[in-house]
Amino acid sequence: MVNTDTFGKLELELRRGVVVLATLSQLRAPRYGYELRQVLAEKGMPIEEGTLYPLLRRLETQGLLQSEWKLEGGSQRRYYSLNADGRKLLKRLTESWQGMNDAMNELLKED
Amino acid sequence: MKMNANDVIEAYVTDVALQLPRKQRNDVAFELRALINEGLQDKAEETGRAVDAAMATEFLNAFGHPETVAARYRPALNIIDPADGQKFWRATSIGLAIIWGLGLLELFQTAPEVGFLNALAKWWMGTVIGSLWWPGVLVAGFGISAWAGRRWPQKTEWKPKANDRIRGGRLGIVMGLIGVMFGLYILAKPTWVLDVVWGGHAAPVAYQALTYTDSFLQLQGPILFALILLYIPFFIAVIVKGRHTPMLRRIETASSLLTCAVMLWAIMDGPIFMTATSDGMTKSIMLLIVVFTLIIMGIEMYRTVKPTPDKPVQIGR
Repeated sequence: MVNTDTFGKLELELRRGVVVLATLSQLRAPRYGYELRQVLAEKGMPIEEGTLYPLLRRLETQGLLQSEWKLEGGSQRRYYSLNADGRKLLKRLTESWQGMNDAMNELLKED
Repeated sequence: MKMNANDVIEAYVTDVALQLPRKQRNDVAFELRALINEGLQDKAEETGRAVDAAMATEFLNAFGHPETVAARYRPALNIIDPADGQKFWRATSIGLAIIWGLGLLELFQTAPEVGFLNALAKWWMGTVIGSLWWPGVLVAGFGISAWAGRRWPQKTEWKPKANDRIRGGRLGIVMGLIGVMFGLYILAKPTWVLDVVWGGHAAPVAYQALTYTDSFLQLQGPILFALILLYIPFFIAVIVKGRHTPMLRRIETASSLLTCAVMLWAIMDGPIFMTATSDGMTKSIMLLIVVFTLIIMGIEMYRTVKPTPDKPVQIGR
């Protein structure tokens, strides 16, 4: 019987693999950190704040996102969105993911 | 002074930001503070409580330790490549074990003079604390190697090497052959060293010191000479074959073990040379050769891989 600890670690590994793709997928339109986190959670992919916010900065440093500060509802917020390179990468990663997803569905089919 | 929620948030944001590069620090701190405030407000609404220091602390603990969060803002920095982790720990442990072991030997030698506790304190301060230079050197070495691997990845590409290759190549074997012939000559005529160094004018006592005892000349000497002589056809066979075949490897293992056994026999059987000084020195060198040979053979055995199933193989489906 697989214990909860092993399951938790393996599930975390699986989730880590899709965090970047999930984040990029929701940045076709500009979003700020907290809003993005809520959207991801609503769609079934909750990501911890302590992971998501630094990830946005790293993706921006890697030249995949662009950002700008905006004043909205009395609050200053930094909005992130995909730039041209980010869009290209998202397209390629999406194709890879779909290929892997099809293969996994096939593999996980019960005989 | 009691902290309020804002103080807690400020302290957290400062702790994160201080670990970031200066040019990124203020901007990240500004964004992080806004995001934390927003998240905390939502939490307060959910729970129906006003935001206070306890709630802020709980929220920030769930957010992650400032050092962990700060590390996520930076690209991953590995001084030692994960692939080298095992090698690093092995080199560290072996190196420290040798340094501490040598220190312990010294401790036992000096303990009777200065007292056991004093010797132990000296060992702890001098050897154990002093030995930290070793992991430091290893971190630097592995770090440079990891950096070079990332800088010139093509240089560190895996290249296949045959398991039965000649280590050191044919040139190494030729050098070994020269060494064996040199060793044989010295074994047959140890006073040759004196002739070379002093042009045959060394003191008679020196010649006497390098004169074998009769028992060595009659017993172990000829056997040792014959065993070392056998290395000549062995090395020639390796050069001709161009590789260490399983048969050659078996011959090498057998002759090494036999040579070690004869050397140990010679060490324990009685004097090899006429004078105690040269006898003691020769026996120390022979003992070192035996220990070194056995260590090398042990490492070779440890590194042997024989692919074998760990359970009986069932026939058919």
